[in-house]
Amino acid sequence: MLRLAIRNFGARKLRSVATAMAVFFGVAMVAGTLILSDSVNASFDELFGEVNAGIDVSIRPEVAVEGEFGSVPTTGFDASLLKQVRGVDGVEKAAGTINDPRISILDENGDRIGPPQGGPPHIAVSPLPEPFESLSYIEGSQPRTPDEFGIDSISADNEGYEIGDTVRITGPAGAKEYTLSGIAEFGSGASLGGASLAEFTLGEARRLTDKPGKFDAIDAAAADGVTPEQLAQRIAAALPSNVDVRTGTETAAEDAGDIKDGFAFLTTALLVFAAIAVFVGAFLIYNTFSITIAQRTREFAMLRTLGASARQLVAGVLAEAAMVGALASALGIAGGFGFVVAIKAIFSAVGFDLPTSGLGLDLTTVLIAIAVGIGATVLSALAPALRATRVAPLEALRESGGSTEAEVRRHGRRRTVIAAVLSVLGVAIIALTLFGSGGIGSALVQLGVGLVALFIGLAMLGGRAVPAIASALGWPIEKLRGIPGRLARENSQREPARTATTAAALMIGVALVVFVGVFSSSIKTSATETIDSQFAGDLAIVNTDGFSPIPAKIADEVAGIDGVQSVSPLSTVPAKLDDGGEEINLTGVEPDGLAAIANLDWTDGSDETLAELGSSGAIVEQGWADDNDVEVGDTVPLTGANGEQIEVEVRGAVDDQSGLVVGSLAIARTTLRDTFGVTDDFLDFVGFAPGADAAATRNAVDELLASRFPNAESRDQNELKADQEDAINQVVALIYVLLGLSVIVSVFGIVNTLSLTILERRREFGMLRAIGSSRRQVRRMVRYESVITALLGTIVGAVVGLVLAIAAVEALKDEGLVLSVPIALPIVVLIAAIVLGALAAIGPARRASRVNVIEALQYE
Amino acid sequence: MEAQAEMIVRCVDLRRRYGEGEAAVDALAGVTLDFPRGELTSIVGPSGSGKSTLMHVLAGLDRPTGGQVWVDGSEITALEDAELTRLRRDKLGFIFQFFNLVPVLSAEENVTLPLRIAGRDVDDGWLETLLDTVGIADRRTHRPAELSGGQQQRVAIARALISKPAVVFADEPTGNLDSTSSTHVLELLRRSVDELGHTVIMVTHDPRVAAYADRVVLLVDGGVSSDTSVASAEQVHELMQTA
Ligand SMILES: Nc1ncnc2c1ncn2[C@@H]1O[C@H](COP(=O)(O)OP(=O)(O)OP(=O)(O)O)[C@@H](O)[C@H]1O
Ligand SMILES: [Mg+2]
Repeated sequence: MLRLAIRNFGARKLRSVATAMAVFFGVAMVAGTLILSDSVNASFDELFGEVNAGIDVSIRPEVAVEGEFGSVPTTGFDASLLKQVRGVDGVEKAAGTINDPRISILDENGDRIGPPQGGPPHIAVSPLPEPFESLSYIEGSQPRTPDEFGIDSISADNEGYEIGDTVRITGPAGAKEYTLSGIAEFGSGASLGGASLAEFTLGEARRLTDKPGKFDAIDAAAADGVTPEQLAQRIAAALPSNVDVRTGTETAAEDAGDIKDGFAFLTTALLVFAAIAVFVGAFLIYNTFSITIAQRTREFAMLRTLGASARQLVAGVLAEAAMVGALASALGIAGGFGFVVAIKAIFSAVGFDLPTSGLGLDLTTVLIAIAVGIGATVLSALAPALRATRVAPLEALRESGGSTEAEVRRHGRRRTVIAAVLSVLGVAIIALTLFGSGGIGSALVQLGVGLVALFIGLAMLGGRAVPAIASALGWPIEKLRGIPGRLARENSQREPARTATTAAALMIGVALVVFVGVFSSSIKTSATETIDSQFAGDLAIVNTDGFSPIPAKIADEVAGIDGVQSVSPLSTVPAKLDDGGEEINLTGVEPDGLAAIANLDWTDGSDETLAELGSSGAIVEQGWADDNDVEVGDTVPLTGANGEQIEVEVRGAVDDQSGLVVGSLAIARTTLRDTFGVTDDFLDFVGFAPGADAAATRNAVDELLASRFPNAESRDQNELKADQEDAINQVVALIYVLLGLSVIVSVFGIVNTLSLTILERRREFGMLRAIGSSRRQVRRMVRYESVITALLGTIVGAVVGLVLAIAAVEALKDEGLVLSVPIALPIVVLIAAIVLGALAAIGPARRASRVNVIEALQYE
Repeated sequence: MEAQAEMIVRCVDLRRRYGEGEAAVDALAGVTLDFPRGELTSIVGPSGSGKSTLMHVLAGLDRPTGGQVWVDGSEITALEDAELTRLRRDKLGFIFQFFNLVPVLSAEENVTLPLRIAGRDVDDGWLETLLDTVGIADRRTHRPAELSGGQQQRVAIARALISKPAVVFADEPTGNLDSTSSTHVLELLRRSVDELGHTVIMVTHDPRVAAYADRVVLLVDGGVSSDTSVASAEQVHELMQTA
């Protein structure tokens, strides 16, 4: 049997390869993601290992609440701590440094170098003595005056900086021009993941980051005979409790861990898309094996008459599947490196340098790739293989292969029941996930399970629905294209189950594309509607990177501009609700000017409430308050990022579902500054005086920002909306690219099915050619059939995707989501389906039109 | 030239060789034949004698390795694929041993298929006449799978005649039929020649089938062994025995 399987695999080389392609993309994505994540993790371990190499103990301010994006820029601690550290027994040497990611290195146009929005940070650092310093200068020297700076070699290369160049750098204290004194790198020239480092003298670093008399970190070295652990314990005992004391090794692991956690999200996301591709591929494997096994019914029956057992037949088919899977795995692992290159290219296009020092293939990756490739193929081939066992020896003698009518019907009824159960189950799980309660993590898994059940169910049900839908889709083609259209329309309904499975593979990709399209459009619409309804001011001043804080001084200086009537700064800090431990993004508002610039939608209280907020009052976002059982009148204990604790009383509630002003809880901005040590603002709302020349006033604001605070920019309503849309569009584009791979897989599926089908219909094509069909007519016939199949998958997929998106938006209505269906999307998707269908048909159509008429007719 | 016009199909010194060198087979080794309009001709011969090959080459389905073929006055041996397709579409009709109907089309649609492929209008009167003549008028909406072998072959005959072709080629048209169905099909072909004035060239190895023809051409080893007007099956049988 094994020998026969090998023969079969070999005899159908082309088909075996085409079938392997179905799983190849999925395996390549899995392997690539693992290779990438191993390599990135190793690189970050290496980088932070080097950074912390000479450090026995590292002391930093405590981060009590980390916030969504990992550690927040801290306010540092008083330099006097250094004396205390030096006084600890066993400290051989200790030094303090500034390490602050709130600067922007600017190019000659005043724009941040590197990616324009949301890129990796620019970090201000100050020199350390040996053995703590990890930067070594490869050109020039350390900055020695307040007007000099040093930069990392990768940024220098990217920007073409040379020693002596003048570069503008802006920070919390404003912008200043510096002369480049030297170019430095870490021990091995490790990548910083796209981040840029600028080194200043300690004094200048403190001035630029607005941290006079402070350090962000203190490093200590142990005297002989004292271990880092012992030293860490002694130092911790001597220092106040609001500092973190760790060994260098711990710090390295911690720092790398933070970045790796962030990257783990990407790994998970990529694996999700890989799983989708594998799933789509599984459909195609199933279909291909179903068709080939149907075509080989006679062969199986003959083997049965010769005494082969049913088990031997199954084993034979599965062995063939395993060989296809092995081929897919081998190609997939190689393709994985291509995937890594592609993902790196995409990320570097948006400014992130995924550091991958030495791409390696680890045994686990190889094993996982093989397991996925062979596993998916064998599992998908299992059902068709079992069908081979039902072939009765008698069928060897029957004229045409296949089961009897009754068999088909009985089989069909059971299939329909299973399909219906699966579909209903899928819908139920999805509905439960969307409308029930539960964590977001388990929700995603549940959603996945629900979708898989739904898709399989629909694919199986498809067999029933195909004739009607295909007939409807084919109608215009028949009307427009005559006999090739007529035959295509009929042929697409000939093997409904086959057409359904082929179309289903495409359906999955299209459903997800449409879902993402509609869902993201709804998010965009909601975001822009919020800006429309709540932002009553003229300008918002934000960081040019779109999310970092801006210097607090901006508010004061902009307020002094002619034509500006009011400026209302907003600041934020990660905080914890003490009892629940729930993490929130606490907002600090300036009660005086806010009401004039933001249209707060009060559900309890009024703008008066805001004016009377005081230092102990708070307002809540209604939806958040409902979810967290907080009511007006409650007293809420809060812990800020720096560990300070306060209690506030809830005085009012507003509806601000998208969190433009109040995401969860807002208190006075002065409390954030005085108690939680927040020095920066998140944004400033600016309102012009009535009758002021808007253009001139904005010009004045922009000029001030450009000259004093180049990392901030002003955005009017429309620009704010466009920013929101751009940010979402970028993510959507990446998702489309990844889903695109699944769509490509399903196009391969159409190619494969068509090719197999054409093999079956050689005689028919030969006859059509004999009675006068031109090659072109035959090609058209195949092409239209392909287009009908593609349209079938696309239309059903689009409907499924739309329904899912409507359900998801409905489920998230409380978050302020409003359904918005982009009109262009269905049109683009339909046109794409027609084009893909036509493309998939190119090869098969050519083969069909080239059948040798005589051979096709003589063959039995 | 006058005589030529009456000859609907002509071939001169037709050769068809398969393979090369030692293993080469001459399926046709110089065949020269004329087929006049309005005649039913049988091509008979033992298995492997080149009957099918001759028909394929005459019909432009296969290219000869030597010699020339004229159909309805024009030489087809030099034609491009597209022109051959047009020739088949406009001037030729085919009947195959394995009926070769399109399974997804109804009987009537199968009959009108050549016209639809050619983009020509269906002559309803002629269609009715044909359906009546072949006796499937009441089965016109059935799909091939719902018809018996004999009925399917009768549909195929109607299909071959629908475009009023200059000549109909039939390869073993009764090869897959029982004797009743065979008789029916042969009578149909006979009538299409006698009553409708068609030209039919039919390949068979069955003497009884061949006896329906006006003329019997005997092929042996790729060459014409005899070319006669014979009356009975016995005579044809004898002819084939002597070969
Ligand atoms: N494609 C081919 N390649 C090689 N040889 C061929 C091919 N087709 C036919 N032949 C050979 O050409 C010769 C004539 O074949 P042909 O099919 O014309 O015979 P036939 O008279 O129709 O036989 P039958 O009565 O069995 O149908 C045979 O020897 C056959 O083996
Ligand atoms: Mg033959």
